[in-house]
Amino acid sequence: MSERVTLIGLDFGTTTSCAVVASARVACNSLTGRIELSDVRQEYQSGQIFTPLVDDRLDEAQLGRHLDAWLGQVDAGQIFGGGAVLTGLAAQKSNAAAFIRQTRQRLANAVIAVGEDPRLESWLAFMGNCADLARANPDRLFINLDIGGGTTNLAAGRNGEVLQTGSYFVGARHVQLAPGSYQITRLSSYASALFKHLGIAKTVGERLAPQEVAKIVDWYARLLEDAVGGNLPSQLDAVSAMHEQVPFQLPPAASDPAITLSGGVGQLVYGHLQGDPWPPTTAFGDLGIDLARGLAERPFWQRHLQAFVPTSLGQATVYGLLRYNTQASGSTIYLADPSLLPLADLMILGTISPSSSASDVERLIALASQAVGGACLRIELPKRSLAEIRELAARLRQAIAHLPLATQQPLVFLLRENLGKVLGQYLTDWGQSPLKVVVLDEIDERDAQFAHLGALRQGVVPVSFYGATLGKEC
Amino acid sequence: MSDLPPLAEIPVPEPKPDELYTHEFFGEKVSLRGLKRLLGAADCSKAGDRGAGLSAPSEKIREAARAMLGSLTLGHLYERPLVDDAGQVDSVMRANYAVDLPLLESIAGWTVGQFKDWLLAGSSEEVNGIGRALTGPMAAAVAKLCDVHELVCIARKFKRPTHARTTLGLPGTLSSRLQPNHPIDDLRGVTLLVYWGLALGAGDALIGMNPAIDTVDNISALLVHLDKLRRHTGAPTQICVLSHIKTQLACLAHGAPVEVIFQSLAGTESTLTSEFDVTVDLLDEAYRVMAARGPLKDSARQFMYFETGQGSEFTYGKHNGIDMATAEALCYGLARRYDPFMVNNVTGFIGPETHADNFEMIVANLQDHFMGKLLGLPMGMAPCYTLHSAITLDGQQMASELLAAAGANYYMDVCLNTDRMLAYFDTSAHDNQTLREVYSRRPAPEFAAWAVERGIFQTAADGSLVRGPKWGDVRQFCSSDTELQMLVDATPAAYGFGTAGPRPADSVSRQVRLHQAVGREAIESELRVEELLSIAPFRVIATEAADKHSHLASPAAGSRVGRASLAQLVPEDREVQILVSDGLSAEAIHHNLADVLPAVLDGLASHGVRVGQPILARYGRVKLAEHVAQLLGASLVIYLIGERPGGDAWSSRSMSAYLVYRPAVLGESAANSAGNGAWPQFEYTVISNIYSRGLPGLEASAVIVEKSLQILDHHAAGNRLEALLRASTGVA
Repeated sequence: MSERVTLIGLDFGTTTSCAVVASARVACNSLTGRIELSDVRQEYQSGQIFTPLVDDRLDEAQLGRHLDAWLGQVDAGQIFGGGAVLTGLAAQKSNAAAFIRQTRQRLANAVIAVGEDPRLESWLAFMGNCADLARANPDRLFINLDIGGGTTNLAAGRNGEVLQTGSYFVGARHVQLAPGSYQITRLSSYASALFKHLGIAKTVGERLAPQEVAKIVDWYARLLEDAVGGNLPSQLDAVSAMHEQVPFQLPPAASDPAITLSGGVGQLVYGHLQGDPWPPTTAFGDLGIDLARGLAERPFWQRHLQAFVPTSLGQATVYGLLRYNTQASGSTIYLADPSLLPLADLMILGTISPSSSASDVERLIALASQAVGGACLRIELPKRSLAEIRELAARLRQAIAHLPLATQQPLVFLLRENLGKVLGQYLTDWGQSPLKVVVLDEIDERDAQFAHLGALRQGVVPVSFYGATLGKEC
Repeated sequence: MSDLPPLAEIPVPEPKPDELYTHEFFGEKVSLRGLKRLLGAADCSKAGDRGAGLSAPSEKIREAARAMLGSLTLGHLYERPLVDDAGQVDSVMRANYAVDLPLLESIAGWTVGQFKDWLLAGSSEEVNGIGRALTGPMAAAVAKLCDVHELVCIARKFKRPTHARTTLGLPGTLSSRLQPNHPIDDLRGVTLLVYWGLALGAGDALIGMNPAIDTVDNISALLVHLDKLRRHTGAPTQICVLSHIKTQLACLAHGAPVEVIFQSLAGTESTLTSEFDVTVDLLDEAYRVMAARGPLKDSARQFMYFETGQGSEFTYGKHNGIDMATAEALCYGLARRYDPFMVNNVTGFIGPETHADNFEMIVANLQDHFMGKLLGLPMGMAPCYTLHSAITLDGQQMASELLAAAGANYYMDVCLNTDRMLAYFDTSAHDNQTLREVYSRRPAPEFAAWAVERGIFQTAADGSLVRGPKWGDVRQFCSSDTELQMLVDATPAAYGFGTAGPRPADSVSRQVRLHQAVGREAIESELRVEELLSIAPFRVIATEAADKHSHLASPAAGSRVGRASLAQLVPEDREVQILVSDGLSAEAIHHNLADVLPAVLDGLASHGVRVGQPILARYGRVKLAEHVAQLLGASLVIYLIGERPGGDAWSSRSMSAYLVYRPAVLGESAANSAGNGAWPQFEYTVISNIYSRGLPGLEASAVIVEKSLQILDHHAAGNRLEALLRASTGVA
């Protein structure tokens, strides 16, 4: 068995934040022949903390202390995969970018650390919450709703593959309340607009009446039901449109989908279904408990949520990060120089295949040549034949020859097929070209704008993606 | 704990010159010189003995030899220890002489034939314990006189219960050793196979797996995992990882749960020491360490586990002129020294060079079981086969039915008969349950109680133990369907959990058989030379194997260039020679060569490497590369050869690339790596699993070129190359 590697997942949400550290083995699946992370063991799980805020900004100092405590004994240099995400309203704080930079430094750039990436969040929540369920029921469409403090991230997928994502500003924390009462302490801009739309003339300091709470919950629940059912009109009313961060469209053949929940609200619902009592009134200082109760009492959700219960029962994002955000490359890759790695924030410029036109190939290689820190291109080899590899490598060599590509400039190619080393060898005339080429194979296509390559470990390279664009084409 | 008498203190008669044994019948005289030849000729004909020139050339001579052997007294056999090639009594033979001399004295005047008659006539109580008076060759001698009924009838009289956590070998029981082997020790796959076996009521003898990697770290991790599964399921059994005994001792020293310690044995000291890296002194040490520090030292009566099987001495060319059955009996004489918890016989595992067909395998298994029981051992049986022999699943099932009738203590549980790592076929948990039902047997009592509690078994109105509602339910040990699916996703040859009575559902059996059929066809397929000539302008040569049969039956024949082709291969001024052969799967070549060879030639040409005209050889074995390298004077032979198919149809198309390097420059590092200060003639770097679901041919070509260039640059291959590469890159 191979040595164990370290995985981390850090989720900084609108309401709460948490961390999980795990270890895993990098191993070849003897059925598929592909390299994968197996025997994942949780080594540490933090408790949920309220995401610390100071004057509507993230409290960077306190978050930094939490980070230090969570990562404790973890050697950042040994981190193989996972990542950190700043989600929901936390990602909209004015110092979010600064906090992301701080986190990246703390993690020695070993994995991605990103904020404001709703499609990635949807993908992560799906993978962390119901990917295993979906694989066990490969013919069934699964829709996961990750309902947090600020946003509800939706993802639909089949057999463990996410097909469609969307995101709505529906969450517990838009209406903040004094714990134990319905006295409003804070309203987000989305909540203010919704109050106006619903005719609720209440503001900070005033108490919401039970029927007003019910109205708000009902509106949230209906929006989500319509989204899941594919019943949202193409032209949304103004307030609905405002709440739509990324539109969600049902994939084709979506009859009778299985529905799962995650996030803080999802955890409350599943806890209730398993017999836990509801927490005291507005115990968390927001509408999360009411939203959970509202969903649990509606026939639509009752019908769906009993059918498939995810084992993680909620903390989906952090597990998604931990288990699925990082892919291990194949073990036979082309790496001109291992010291090139890690490579962070490589823009994925596009895809080159044997059917790409000469001008497309030249354009993409030219774009790559302008990325001083390196760039990334996807390669498709549908026939997987020697003739195809020889020809495509020759075309790429020719395109590169016409450009002032600096010899130290990394050029990364990603492909799904286990053909990385042979493509790299033909591309570099069997290692005789001085170009800093990296060809990583067995990397599944992820709809993303950026790739992050970790350091070489046990002969494989960890690859993470972010900036997902999933669903935009549909 | 038994006393271990020092070998030097065991009395052994002085060896005597070979005598001439003669028998006259119907006016003909048959003469055989020496006890070894007599024992060899008296046995039924088996491939290994034929290969060693020990088998009788005709049925008439075989029967004459049996008549001669049957007329010799046990005392005659005692007085003539079989010696090694240097004329010495080796340590294995010496251990066999630790017998109960007064008891022997009481029967020393009996002929072997009379002794057989006494065994047949006596009750279980009368014959039990007589083995203490016998050496291995005495047990072998009587086995050779027995027909199938006698091998069954006598063996079933011997009871040899042993106890660790469970008690094996009690009357009316049939246990099983669960073997959750996985090609890469993937713990998910191991877990599924353990759960699956336990759900089918298997594993009461042992949960014991063969590791893919024999390192202290890996073996310790596997032991810890098996221990975790044992505790999780609550199954009362014991665990073992079948690594080298030195590795297990190191694991025990590091605190790993080595509950039962394992070692393969051989019937000659030269095989035991030079091939298995084991001495009697080491086995003694392991016994004492386990008695003092083993996790079950306070509760188990026995804690050692040996594996044996006819033919290993012959395969390694270290049989000392002793036939396979007698050498096997010598293993038992050695095993007896340690009062083992279990002995497992795997005759059939090696291949057609030792046991060619069902008859040879079945009879050999019955002999082994008989000899082991007679000598007082707790014999478990694993009648098994590889696809390149003519042994079949049906033959194996016939063997297991007969061995169950003969009272085997336990069988293997190799899930769906298909070993996922060792590419061979053994008995399964379904087979065990079938045999329990046919022969009214139960598992070990401790395990049976646990299984009844779980609903795996239930007690019928007549008091018999029958399958319960949870029998075959793998899910019962998993926390969720998704966990079960995750385990299945990492397990090869998991064709389905469906059952029909004690058997796999027909849809599952059909899958098992179909995959085996594809593997057999790959072995039997012939190279399509004309088709391959379109890939490269091969020089086509022949080996000494004249046909497919001799190729499969004799590895040596496929290791030499045939006489007719020698003239084609003369020294050439080329660094690299590419050689292609069918090996044990022509289909592997047909499916991969077009991807691999042109790209390898491209890569070598780009670096200006001088490559000879490729050679294509029908019926080649791995060692053929060495002969070709010697004839051509090539430094490196890139040898593309079909691998032996196992239980997965896809892998029957799997090819290996052996990079066979002939070091040309004398130096300390190579000499040291040979271990004995001698310069190694050849060093090997192997790239295996080249097929569509392993390492695809195109990608393999780049790996082959990269490794070949490294070999040529560093003038080294194999472990020495890897050490040099580590040193040059600074990677530990």
